Amino acid sequence: MKALALEFYKTRGRKVWLVVFALIAVQLLWMLWSLRSMREQKLDTGWMYFLYEFPALNTLMMPVIAAVVASRLCDTEHQGRTLKLLKTVMPAGRLFGAKFLCGSIYMAAAAVFQVAMMLLGGSLKGFRGAVPVQKYLLYLLFTVSVSLTLLLFQQVLSLLAENQMIPLAVGLIGAFAGVFLMFLPKQLSYLLPWGYYMVLEGVSLEWNKAAGVVRYHYVPENWFGLAVLAAVFLVIYLTGRFLFIKKEV
Amino acid sequence: MEQLIATAGLGKRYGKTDRVKDLDLAVPEGAVYGFLGPNGAGKSTTLKMILGLVRPTAGTIDVFGRRMCSRNRLSILKDVGSLIESPSYYGHLTGEENLRVIQTLRSVPRQEVDRVLKIVRLEKQKDKKAEHYSLGMKQRLGLACALLGNPRLLILDEPTNGLDPAGIQEMRELICSLPKQYGMTVVVSSHLLSEMEQIATFVGIIREGELVFQDSMKALYEKSSISIAVRTMNNALAAELLHGLGLAVRRDEDYLLLPELSDEQVARCADELQKNRVGLVRIEERRKSLEDIFLELTGKAVSL
Repeated sequence: MKALALEFYKTRGRKVWLVVFALIAVQLLWMLWSLRSMREQKLDTGWMYFLYEFPALNTLMMPVIAAVVASRLCDTEHQGRTLKLLKTVMPAGRLFGAKFLCGSIYMAAAAVFQVAMMLLGGSLKGFRGAVPVQKYLLYLLFTVSVSLTLLLFQQVLSLLAENQMIPLAVGLIGAFAGVFLMFLPKQLSYLLPWGYYMVLEGVSLEWNKAAGVVRYHYVPENWFGLAVLAAVFLVIYLTGRFLFIKKEV
Repeated sequence: MEQLIATAGLGKRYGKTDRVKDLDLAVPEGAVYGFLGPNGAGKSTTLKMILGLVRPTAGTIDVFGRRMCSRNRLSILKDVGSLIESPSYYGHLTGEENLRVIQTLRSVPRQEVDRVLKIVRLEKQKDKKAEHYSLGMKQRLGLACALLGNPRLLILDEPTNGLDPAGIQEMRELICSLPKQYGMTVVVSSHLLSEMEQIATFVGIIREGELVFQDSMKALYEKSSISIAVRTMNNALAAELLHGLGLAVRRDEDYLLLPELSDEQVARCADELQKNRVGLVRIEERRKSLEDIFLELTGKAVSL
């Protein structure tokens, strides 16, 4: 707890919240634009439409946000060469954990703000039908799970590499890779952590070319995908923590 | 005297090169231990090993009489303050906030921050961001961090690096005052002998990873004592004669070296040689400076 509080203390003036708000602002603009051009009959499937579109948006943007948040939290240790001091006053594993928890709060907050924005936007626009609360809660769970895995991966890179261009570049490449995977068979998305926003997507689209009709429908929750992601998370956490503890400073 | 730090056969090997080799360090309690050596001799690596920041590839480390291992490392380090190489600080936080972070992690009372700020004379600049500090102030902030909780042992690695003469003087005075005022034992490394001369009570000199001298400063000074060099036309006979006068005689190339003598003794020697018709051609007073000894021990020019 003390270590976590200190992580927040250290982020004073680092403007990490600004990163989160920038993400929300961009997504808000996208949402306003897409709502404006929305046709009347689409209001029936509005809630589903959001659950279909936002994972793609997250695939593009969240990896970058995760990379920036992780880098903001870790870079301060490299710049001030503080690791050699911290490692003499606290267990390195605890520092690793506290940093991850701190970053997690930012990433989880980003997801919560996003869902709140979706619900608010949908209601104001007048989406028909009750809000599918359960579906949105699951969406939140899946989004947070993927975001935290990406954050963890980025944190490991940011702690191990002093040059923050490396993790930032990896985050950017990851985002593009995730988008690229969308155009390939879905099974391939399992191969990279950046593909999991799409793997865990709760709505799919059926496009009847002949009739020119687009239909959204819910798909069963992909618990298998979540389990694979959890395993990936665990491997990254244990390996990353081990490497960080072993790292000589 | 109890040894606060005792290492045995300590070594660190990177690939095929030994950065530190077979090091037996002994730091007595209450000492200011000057750890000397040219740049790249392995000083920082050794100090980092003592702090557990670098894992030794050979040997053992005892601190406060306890064998250091990864499990008890942090409990031992509770009583050790350190400043390794450049100072550690968060540039976007003020001096006081920086200290607050370490004070919280070390679980020492809040008042400690004010106390150490006063010791390093930073109390007036405590609300300034650390990134706006001068190098000397950053170094003092680093020292303040190390002093939090009044540790028994302080490990300072090149604390005067990059400071101007006034800053060096100030740091020197601070370090000197610590054992007396707070009962601390201080290990301070440097590549400048002149710096250590004035503050250290014990010295360890390291060269290419190996300890080449370790003893009290007094013992090092003794090595620098004056000798009288005599050159004659017949050194063998002269040596015999001077030996007969009860003097310890050493040969040094064309010279005979005698210990420090009074003027009367020198005159008596000259008399004795003349009486026996040994042609006396030179009498010189020689003094080996500490710098000479350092040079001899480290095989490198002393950095200025």
